[in-house]
Amino acid sequence: MEKKDHILYDKTGNPSKEPAWIFRTYAGHTNAKESNELFRKNLAKGQTGLSIAFDLPTQCGYSSDHAIAKPEIGKVGVPINTLEDFRILFDQIPIEEMNTSMTINGTSMWLLSLYVALAEERGEDVSKLQGTTQNDIIKEYLARGTYIFPPEHSIRIIVDMYEYCLKRIPKWNPSNICSYHLQEAGATPVQELAFALATGMAILDAVKERNCFTHEEFEQCVGRISFFVNAGIRFIEEMCKMRAFSDMWEEITVGIYQVKNEKYRRFRYGVQVNSLGLTEEQPENNAWRILIEALGVTLSRDARCRALQLPAWNEALSLPRPWDQQWSLRLQQVLAYETDLLEYPDLFEGSRVVESKVKDLVENANKEIQKIKEMGGAIKAIENGYMKAQLVKSQAERLAKINNDELIIVGKNKWKEGIPSPLTNDPDGGIFKVDPKSAEQTLKVLSDVKARRDAKKVAETLARLEEDAKNGKNLMFASVECAKALVTTGEWADTLRKIFGEYRPSTGVEGQKLNLESDKVSNVRSKVEKFQKATGARPKIVVGKPGLDGHSNGAEMIAVSAKHAGFDVIYSGIRLTPEEIVQSAVEENANVIGVSILSGSHVELAEQIFAELKHYKADIPVVFGGIIPQPDFEKLHSIGVKAIFTPKDYDLMDVMDRIIDIVSEKIPASV
Amino acid sequence: MTVRFAEKELKELIQEASQGEKYPLAKLISELERPNSFEFRKVLFKELENSGFNGSHSVTIGFTGTPGAGKSSLLGEISTKFLQTVPDKKMAVVAIDPSSHISGGSLLGDRTRLSLPVREKRIFFRSQPSQLELGGLNPYTYHVIRLLRCFFDFIFVETVGIGQNEIEVSKLADLSFLVMVPLGGDQIQFMKSGIMEVPDAFILNKCDEENLARASYHTLSTTLEFLRDIVPGGSIPPIFLTSVKTKKGIQELLDFVLKSKPHPKRSSETKIQIEKWIKTEYGNFGLSFSETLGNSPPKKYEEWENFFNSEIRKRLS
Repeated sequence: MEKKDHILYDKTGNPSKEPAWIFRTYAGHTNAKESNELFRKNLAKGQTGLSIAFDLPTQCGYSSDHAIAKPEIGKVGVPINTLEDFRILFDQIPIEEMNTSMTINGTSMWLLSLYVALAEERGEDVSKLQGTTQNDIIKEYLARGTYIFPPEHSIRIIVDMYEYCLKRIPKWNPSNICSYHLQEAGATPVQELAFALATGMAILDAVKERNCFTHEEFEQCVGRISFFVNAGIRFIEEMCKMRAFSDMWEEITVGIYQVKNEKYRRFRYGVQVNSLGLTEEQPENNAWRILIEALGVTLSRDARCRALQLPAWNEALSLPRPWDQQWSLRLQQVLAYETDLLEYPDLFEGSRVVESKVKDLVENANKEIQKIKEMGGAIKAIENGYMKAQLVKSQAERLAKINNDELIIVGKNKWKEGIPSPLTNDPDGGIFKVDPKSAEQTLKVLSDVKARRDAKKVAETLARLEEDAKNGKNLMFASVECAKALVTTGEWADTLRKIFGEYRPSTGVEGQKLNLESDKVSNVRSKVEKFQKATGARPKIVVGKPGLDGHSNGAEMIAVSAKHAGFDVIYSGIRLTPEEIVQSAVEENANVIGVSILSGSHVELAEQIFAELKHYKADIPVVFGGIIPQPDFEKLHSIGVKAIFTPKDYDLMDVMDRIIDIVSEKIPASV
Repeated sequence: MTVRFAEKELKELIQEASQGEKYPLAKLISELERPNSFEFRKVLFKELENSGFNGSHSVTIGFTGTPGAGKSSLLGEISTKFLQTVPDKKMAVVAIDPSSHISGGSLLGDRTRLSLPVREKRIFFRSQPSQLELGGLNPYTYHVIRLLRCFFDFIFVETVGIGQNEIEVSKLADLSFLVMVPLGGDQIQFMKSGIMEVPDAFILNKCDEENLARASYHTLSTTLEFLRDIVPGGSIPPIFLTSVKTKKGIQELLDFVLKSKPHPKRSSETKIQIEKWIKTEYGNFGLSFSETLGNSPPKKYEEWENFFNSEIRKRLS
């Protein structure tokens, strides 16, 4: 029979259809019980895999009863303290049949240990567990900020997990190289390719260096590396990026690591489409953006992802409601089951345009990889701040283009006038809010567990963990024992912090320039000059990023623009306490404190900051920026916050203009 | 510019600052950092003296070296150790950041690498942009240090620069360190620029690895042996091997700092600073008048400043 080009054939030569990718929704909130209900509802709606969002304390290795954790419990994901929370979270969910993705990094080993302990407790065959722990370092150090340990120790933990999983849970992906957040932090497709692949090589080099695998086993490790990628709005380019990824991974696995088995060389990846381009203005437009971005990674067979999760149309406003997530899931289902998308061989094979574009991306990404290699590899390029500085630069360029209207964002800098969206008219304001009382349930479960567990066993297992960490033993075994002994997330992480230390990376903002010259800039600079003339000093701003939320892009951009405007800027990176931020501002006698918060804890943090200012009897004005819903404005103003900036205030010089006005109000009349 | 604080207010600020209150001290520093702070300085330092604060007991420590030598992180370790082991003393850190001033603004990043305890009155940290003096001292750094000496036992001044700028700090430090990294390739450069003759001690930081540290130590001490002849007194300055990672050498370094004494002749420091100020204000022309400095009786800084200002201006008009 003649084979037709437009028909997809299976291995036996029969016409066939591609199976759909895995449909996931990145979900989890409030507490284990509520999240369990959400998971079960989502699965009933046709979702085919779980993607668990953990709250920030869990991600950063703090138990819910730690002071720094309190404002964050259950805010951006589910809080997990002990095995008991996992028992509740997976109640009535057959974990042996699930494909579970856990977005967790610094504490990935701990969460996997809890999962293993739960399976063993239920009497399941552990080797059947399937899923992924994200366990990435680039995105953590460069964009997301929930790292705990220095890079070399983080890599060791990853390699420990590869070793453990290979023998005990062969279908588990111990790590997942996540370039997703790099694009969120401003990465160009070339940077996303280069930084992700360089990280892949760093992990493989570390696995190789341990020298505990046969070549066949090493090939299996290569086969377990998966990637988590971002798909942006320039969807043709994004599709080409995915093809470039596959081509380059093939070159790397064959050329550098001599992987013979074709199966283990496949570039396996999941996708979440871009949230960066989603707008607070006219949020309904985001629905189309999400669809278009999904097309880039589904349209053609050779660039189709294995798993897909879509953000919700209202993510730029605040946390999405279950209905919003359902709407995103339905989009995937329409795409996969109603259209003919899965019936064709690759649509772009042989396209001269696509081939040439892919070639271009590959060449440029290889050049960048070469640069990183010359620095000594990905870990060195993280430690010396190179990668971070490159991202801050790309982000600054992107924002400058939006400000100059070189980059059109519909509803934001073009066609701004519109009829208000009826979607946000619901009494709940179209957004989801975590019940502040729900944390009590989490804390109660934790204190109950602490009261009834065997304290001696806890101490013993933690002592073993400490010993193994010192002696370079694989930490998975001790961690699983800790999980079974009902050790808490904070206790596990603290034990390792003691041995490995905590990491403070470079902020990437030093030496950055903003390519922005406009009337607005000169207007702000003239106000700065006026201030300087009147007071004899430049205005000084402390840019603070309190709490556990590590999304530092906003803070970095404000730091860079304030310098551009002529301020003296003090920015010390993420995860500072309100006490530390206020102390900096007091010692430096700053004229203003700018605080960036995206986790939804703005009210609690504002209260803490003002309490601390009161302690020092310091009257320094405070402004807030971040994802802050309109209904919270009044509360923040009543606490004392002078101005609030949200993603709507994308024009950096407008922001600086308002800040210099606030600062100038305090110029004494006598001078 | 007029003095911004009323007499009573100034007294209060001084009293509070002396008790370790951070905000009053920060305000006083800001006043010193303004241009034309002459009138304020006169009042301030007189008031300080009247209140019994003259700073004569205090030791100033210069910390200098190339970017990336790990000076800030090392200072962070020293501070932690200091607070743990010296319960009755206070320290301040002035970090001069070399960020460029093309747009006029600056990014002061030194706090990033130090993690300081909060609400601890025994330590105070202040950043300064280096402005036009790349890595070197600010025109007002000297006055800020004079103020801090009144309230703190140890003042650490961290500067960044390559070459001659680094010498600046040693002129107002009682003890100055040059911080380097093992086998950084800097050694030869420093020899050429004559910088080797300036510091009282060397620090080889980032000695995380024992063999590399030892090798670098020998390279440096051999280099110094060659210089023995031109070093005044012929003695070779000590070399400390430190690592923030492994906490190596921190205690030894701190002990050395704690043992050092203030320079016996603060008047020579005043002379150097006055000359520097004259040079900035009036160039070589002005400097020719400064010869009177050498043999005249010691005066307070502001008295000298006043004296030269009126003298030089007289000749100019």
